[in-house]
Amino acid sequence: MDRDELARRVLQLLTEIAPDVEPASVIPGIDFRDQFDFDSMDTLNFAVALHRELGVDVPEKDYAQLASLDKCVAYLYQAMP
Amino acid sequence: MRAAIAAAMSRSKREIPHYYLATTVDVTGTVEWLAARNASVPVTQRLLFAALVVKAVALGCRELKGFSGFHREGRYEDSDTVHVGVAVALRGGGLVAPAIMDTADKPLNVLMEEFRDLVARARAGRLRASELSAPTIIVTSLGDSPVDTVFPIIQPPQVAIVGAGAIAERPWVVAGQVVPRQVLGLSLGADHRVTDGRLGARFLARIAERLLDPGSL
Repeated sequence: MDRDELARRVLQLLTEIAPDVEPASVIPGIDFRDQFDFDSMDTLNFAVALHRELGVDVPEKDYAQLASLDKCVAYLYQAMP
Repeated sequence: MRAAIAAAMSRSKREIPHYYLATTVDVTGTVEWLAARNASVPVTQRLLFAALVVKAVALGCRELKGFSGFHREGRYEDSDTVHVGVAVALRGGGLVAPAIMDTADKPLNVLMEEFRDLVARARAGRLRASELSAPTIIVTSLGDSPVDTVFPIIQPPQVAIVGAGAIAERPWVVAGQVVPRQVLGLSLGADHRVTDGRLGARFLARIAERLLDPGSL
Protein backbone atom coordinates (compact mmCIF):
# COMPACT_ATOMS: atom_id res chain seq x y z
CA MET A 1 0.00 0.00 0.00
CA ASP A 2 1.44 3.40 -0.93
CA ARG A 3 1.27 6.44 1.31
CA ASP A 4 -1.71 8.06 -0.44
CA GLU A 5 -3.71 4.87 -0.25
CA LEU A 6 -2.76 4.50 3.42
CA ALA A 7 -3.87 8.08 4.12
CA ARG A 8 -7.22 7.37 2.49
CA ARG A 9 -7.73 4.20 4.53
CA VAL A 10 -6.79 5.94 7.77
CA LEU A 11 -9.18 8.82 7.06
CA GLN A 12 -11.93 6.34 6.31
CA LEU A 13 -11.31 4.50 9.61
CA LEU A 14 -11.21 7.79 11.48
CA THR A 15 -14.63 8.78 10.21
CA GLU A 16 -15.97 5.29 10.92
CA ILE A 17 -15.09 5.53 14.60
CA ALA A 18 -16.09 9.22 14.68
CA PRO A 19 -19.10 9.34 12.33
CA ASP A 20 -19.85 12.87 13.46
CA VAL A 21 -16.61 14.08 11.81
CA GLU A 22 -16.89 15.24 8.21
CA PRO A 23 -14.06 13.56 6.22
CA ALA A 24 -13.50 16.56 3.94
CA SER A 25 -13.02 18.82 6.96
CA VAL A 26 -10.03 16.92 8.39
CA ILE A 27 -6.83 18.98 8.18
CA PRO A 28 -3.89 16.52 7.97
CA GLY A 29 -1.36 18.60 9.90
CA ILE A 30 -3.53 19.53 12.90
CA ASP A 31 -4.07 17.27 15.89
CA PHE A 32 -7.47 15.57 16.02
CA ARG A 33 -7.87 16.81 19.57
CA ASP A 34 -7.63 20.42 18.46
CA GLN A 35 -9.82 19.89 15.41
CA PHE A 36 -12.70 17.95 16.88
CA ASP A 37 -12.18 17.31 20.59
CA PHE A 38 -10.74 13.85 20.07
CA ASP A 39 -10.45 12.27 23.50
CA SER A 40 -8.87 9.17 25.03
CA MET A 41 -11.91 7.05 24.18
CA ASP A 42 -11.69 8.13 20.52
CA THR A 43 -7.97 7.35 20.50
CA LEU A 44 -8.61 3.88 21.90
CA ASN A 45 -11.37 3.21 19.36
CA PHE A 46 -9.10 4.47 16.61
CA ALA A 47 -6.30 2.14 17.75
CA VAL A 48 -8.74 -0.78 17.80
CA ALA A 49 -9.87 0.05 14.24
CA LEU A 50 -6.28 0.36 12.99
CA HIS A 51 -5.52 -3.03 14.48
CA ARG A 52 -8.58 -4.62 12.95
CA GLU A 53 -8.21 -3.15 9.46
CA LEU A 54 -4.47 -2.70 9.02
CA GLY A 55 -3.07 -5.30 11.40
CA VAL A 56 -1.00 -2.78 13.35
CA ASP A 57 -1.21 -3.02 17.13
CA VAL A 58 -0.21 0.45 18.31
CA PRO A 59 1.08 0.25 21.89
CA GLU A 60 -0.38 2.74 24.35
CA LYS A 61 2.97 4.52 24.71
CA ASP A 62 2.83 5.37 20.98
CA TYR A 63 -0.66 6.91 21.03
CA ALA A 64 0.91 10.36 20.63
CA GLN A 65 1.99 9.21 17.16
CA LEU A 66 -1.69 8.93 16.19
CA ALA A 67 -2.48 12.55 17.10
CA SER A 68 -3.01 13.88 13.56
CA LEU A 69 -3.56 12.38 10.10
CA ASP A 70 -0.02 13.28 9.01
CA LYS A 71 1.59 11.80 12.14
CA CYS A 72 -0.59 8.75 11.87
CA VAL A 73 0.32 8.01 8.26
CA ALA A 74 4.03 8.51 8.93
CA TYR A 75 3.91 6.18 11.91
CA LEU A 76 1.80 3.48 10.28
CA TYR A 77 3.77 3.56 7.03
CA GLN A 78 6.87 2.28 8.81
CA ALA A 79 4.91 0.00 11.18
CA MET A 80 2.78 -1.79 8.57
CA PRO A 81 3.39 -5.53 8.31
CA MET B 1 -30.08 19.50 23.17
CA ARG B 2 -28.94 22.74 24.81
CA ALA B 3 -32.49 23.49 25.93
CA ALA B 4 -32.84 20.00 27.48
CA ILE B 5 -29.57 20.40 29.39
CA ALA B 6 -30.60 23.86 30.54
CA ALA B 7 -33.97 22.57 31.77
CA ALA B 8 -32.45 19.63 33.68
CA MET B 9 -29.67 21.71 35.24
CA SER B 10 -32.00 24.58 36.16
CA ARG B 11 -34.31 22.12 37.90
CA SER B 12 -31.31 20.59 39.65
CA LYS B 13 -30.03 23.92 40.94
CA ARG B 14 -33.55 25.01 41.94
CA GLU B 15 -34.61 21.84 43.75
CA ILE B 16 -31.50 20.07 45.00
CA PRO B 17 -29.55 21.50 47.94
CA HIS B 18 -26.13 20.44 46.69
CA TYR B 19 -23.04 20.03 48.77
CA TYR B 20 -19.66 19.48 47.19
CA LEU B 21 -16.58 17.62 48.44
CA ALA B 22 -13.24 17.14 46.75
CA THR B 23 -10.07 15.27 47.48
CA THR B 24 -6.78 14.69 45.73
CA VAL B 25 -5.60 11.12 45.41
CA ASP B 26 -2.08 9.91 44.62
CA VAL B 27 -2.89 7.35 41.92
CA THR B 28 0.68 6.73 40.75
CA GLY B 29 0.51 3.04 41.61
CA THR B 30 -2.78 2.61 39.78
CA VAL B 31 -1.51 4.48 36.70
CA GLU B 32 1.51 2.16 36.63
CA TRP B 33 -0.69 -0.89 37.16
CA LEU B 34 -2.89 0.19 34.26
CA ALA B 35 0.04 0.91 31.92
CA ALA B 36 1.56 -2.50 32.65
CA ARG B 37 -1.78 -4.22 32.19
CA ASN B 38 -2.51 -2.40 28.93
CA ALA B 39 0.97 -3.20 27.59
CA SER B 40 0.37 -6.91 28.15
CA VAL B 41 -2.98 -7.27 26.37
CA PRO B 42 -4.17 -6.71 22.77
CA VAL B 43 -5.53 -3.27 21.95
CA THR B 44 -9.12 -4.53 22.11
CA GLN B 45 -8.70 -5.33 25.81
CA ARG B 46 -7.10 -2.10 26.97
CA LEU B 47 -8.79 -0.14 29.73
CA LEU B 48 -9.14 3.58 30.25
CA PHE B 49 -8.59 4.99 33.73
CA ALA B 50 -12.17 6.28 33.64
CA ALA B 51 -13.40 2.68 33.61
CA LEU B 52 -11.65 2.13 36.94
CA VAL B 53 -13.37 5.21 38.38
CA VAL B 54 -16.76 3.98 37.16
CA LYS B 55 -16.27 0.58 38.78
CA ALA B 56 -14.94 2.08 42.02
CA VAL B 57 -18.00 4.34 42.24
CA ALA B 58 -20.35 1.41 41.62
CA LEU B 59 -18.72 -0.60 44.40
CA GLY B 60 -18.82 2.42 46.70
CA CYS B 61 -22.57 2.75 46.09
CA ARG B 62 -23.05 -0.82 47.16
CA GLU B 63 -21.24 -0.19 50.43
CA LEU B 64 -22.89 3.08 51.42
CA LYS B 65 -26.52 3.97 50.87
CA GLY B 66 -27.70 7.43 49.89
CA PHE B 67 -25.84 8.05 46.65
CA SER B 68 -27.33 5.69 44.09
CA GLY B 69 -31.06 6.06 43.67
CA PHE B 70 -33.88 8.46 42.91
CA HIS B 71 -35.51 11.28 44.88
CA ARG B 72 -39.10 11.51 43.67
CA GLU B 73 -42.28 13.04 45.06
CA GLY B 74 -40.61 14.09 48.26
CA ARG B 75 -38.87 10.88 49.17
CA TYR B 76 -35.64 9.11 48.39
CA GLU B 77 -35.31 5.48 47.45
CA ASP B 78 -31.95 3.79 47.19
CA SER B 79 -31.71 1.59 44.10
CA ASP B 80 -31.27 -2.16 44.49
CA THR B 81 -28.88 -2.27 41.59
CA VAL B 82 -26.31 0.35 40.66
CA HIS B 83 -26.40 1.66 37.11
CA VAL B 84 -23.57 4.16 36.69
CA GLY B 85 -24.14 6.74 33.97
CA VAL B 86 -21.11 8.01 32.10
CA ALA B 87 -21.16 11.62 30.96
CA VAL B 88 -20.21 11.80 27.28
CA ALA B 89 -19.42 15.14 25.66
CA LEU B 90 -20.68 15.37 22.10
CA ARG B 91 -18.63 17.05 19.42
CA GLY B 92 -20.20 20.34 18.49
CA GLY B 93 -21.60 20.70 22.02
CA GLY B 94 -23.95 18.94 24.33
CA LEU B 95 -23.72 16.14 26.79
CA VAL B 96 -25.46 12.84 27.43
CA ALA B 97 -25.04 10.32 30.25
CA PRO B 98 -26.12 6.79 29.31
CA ALA B 99 -25.94 4.00 31.88
CA ILE B 100 -23.68 0.99 32.11
CA MET B 101 -26.27 -1.40 33.55
CA ASP B 102 -25.52 -3.41 36.72
CA THR B 103 -22.13 -1.74 36.88
CA ALA B 104 -21.00 -3.18 40.20
CA ASP B 105 -21.36 -6.77 38.99
CA LYS B 106 -19.40 -6.42 35.76
CA PRO B 107 -15.76 -7.42 35.41
CA LEU B 108 -13.59 -4.54 34.17
CA ASN B 109 -13.17 -5.91 30.65
CA VAL B 110 -16.93 -6.24 30.16
CA LEU B 111 -17.52 -2.83 31.70
CA MET B 112 -14.93 -1.28 29.38
CA GLU B 113 -16.44 -2.91 26.30
CA GLU B 114 -19.86 -1.49 27.16
CA PHE B 115 -18.36 1.89 28.00
CA ARG B 116 -16.72 2.02 24.55
CA ASP B 117 -19.92 1.00 22.86
CA LEU B 118 -21.95 3.62 24.75
CA VAL B 119 -19.59 6.46 23.86
CA ALA B 120 -19.54 5.41 20.20
CA ARG B 121 -23.32 5.20 20.04
CA ALA B 122 -23.76 8.44 21.98
CA ARG B 123 -21.66 10.26 19.41
CA ALA B 124 -23.46 8.57 16.53
CA GLY B 125 -26.82 9.55 18.06
CA ARG B 126 -27.90 5.95 18.54
CA LEU B 127 -28.68 5.64 22.25
CA ARG B 128 -31.88 4.11 23.56
CA ALA B 129 -34.13 6.27 25.73
CA SER B 130 -33.97 3.61 28.45
CA GLU B 131 -30.17 3.96 28.60
CA LEU B 132 -30.53 7.67 29.31
CA SER B 133 -33.13 7.30 32.06
CA ALA B 134 -31.48 4.34 33.81
CA PRO B 135 -28.50 5.91 35.65
CA THR B 136 -28.79 5.85 39.42
CA ILE B 137 -25.63 7.99 39.73
CA ILE B 138 -23.33 9.60 37.15
CA VAL B 139 -19.57 9.78 36.75
CA THR B 140 -18.29 12.79 34.86
CA SER B 141 -14.67 12.59 33.84
CA LEU B 142 -12.82 15.57 32.43
CA GLY B 143 -9.60 13.59 32.30
CA ASP B 144 -8.78 14.79 28.79
CA SER B 145 -9.11 18.45 29.73
CA PRO B 146 -6.73 20.61 31.77
CA VAL B 147 -8.96 20.45 34.84
CA ASP B 148 -7.93 19.54 38.40
CA THR B 149 -11.35 19.29 40.02
CA VAL B 150 -14.89 19.08 38.67
CA PHE B 151 -17.74 20.58 40.73
CA PRO B 152 -20.46 18.41 39.28
CA ILE B 153 -24.19 19.14 39.18
CA ILE B 154 -26.61 16.35 39.99
CA GLN B 155 -29.02 15.19 37.31
CA PRO B 156 -32.46 14.83 38.90
CA PRO B 157 -34.04 12.59 40.07
CA GLN B 158 -30.58 11.26 41.02
CA VAL B 159 -28.96 12.42 44.24
CA ALA B 160 -25.23 12.26 43.57
CA ILE B 161 -22.59 12.67 40.90
CA VAL B 162 -18.87 11.92 41.02
CA GLY B 163 -16.32 14.00 39.12
CA ALA B 164 -12.81 13.10 38.04
CA GLY B 165 -10.32 15.67 36.77
CA ALA B 166 -7.18 15.10 34.76
CA ILE B 167 -4.40 13.00 36.25
CA ALA B 168 -1.42 15.31 36.60
CA GLU B 169 2.11 15.12 37.93
CA ARG B 170 2.39 17.24 41.08
CA PRO B 171 4.80 17.66 43.98
CA TRP B 172 3.58 15.36 46.74
CA VAL B 173 4.80 14.45 50.19
CA VAL B 174 5.64 10.77 50.63
CA ALA B 175 7.30 9.68 53.88
CA GLY B 176 8.39 13.22 54.65
CA GLN B 177 9.92 13.85 51.21
CA VAL B 178 8.52 15.97 48.39
CA VAL B 179 8.44 13.80 45.30
CA PRO B 180 6.68 13.97 41.90
CA ARG B 181 3.52 11.84 41.86
CA GLN B 182 0.54 11.32 39.57
CA VAL B 183 -2.51 12.76 41.31
CA LEU B 184 -6.22 12.76 40.56
CA GLY B 185 -8.83 15.25 41.72
CA LEU B 186 -11.86 13.28 42.78
CA SER B 187 -15.06 15.12 43.70
CA LEU B 188 -18.63 14.56 44.75
CA GLY B 189 -21.78 16.59 44.29
CA ALA B 190 -24.50 15.20 46.56
CA ASP B 191 -27.99 15.99 47.80
CA HIS B 192 -28.47 17.37 51.32
CA ARG B 193 -32.04 16.06 51.38
CA VAL B 194 -30.52 12.58 51.51
CA THR B 195 -26.98 12.70 52.91
CA ASP B 196 -24.56 15.00 54.74
CA GLY B 197 -20.94 15.87 54.27
CA ARG B 198 -19.65 13.30 56.71
CA LEU B 199 -21.25 10.39 54.85
CA GLY B 200 -20.25 12.00 51.54
CA ALA B 201 -16.65 12.11 52.75
CA ARG B 202 -16.79 8.41 53.62
CA PHE B 203 -18.22 7.66 50.19
CA LEU B 204 -15.44 9.57 48.46
CA ALA B 205 -12.85 7.87 50.67
CA ARG B 206 -14.25 4.43 49.78
CA ILE B 207 -13.99 5.26 46.06
CA ALA B 208 -10.41 6.45 46.53
CA GLU B 209 -9.47 3.28 48.45
CA ARG B 210 -10.85 1.14 45.66
CA LEU B 211 -8.93 3.12 43.06
CA LEU B 212 -5.73 2.56 45.00
CA ASP B 213 -6.32 -1.18 44.93
CA PRO B 214 -7.16 -1.80 41.26
CA GLY B 215 -6.93 -5.55 41.71
CA SER B 216 -10.12 -5.26 43.78
CA LEU B 217 -12.08 -3.69 40.94
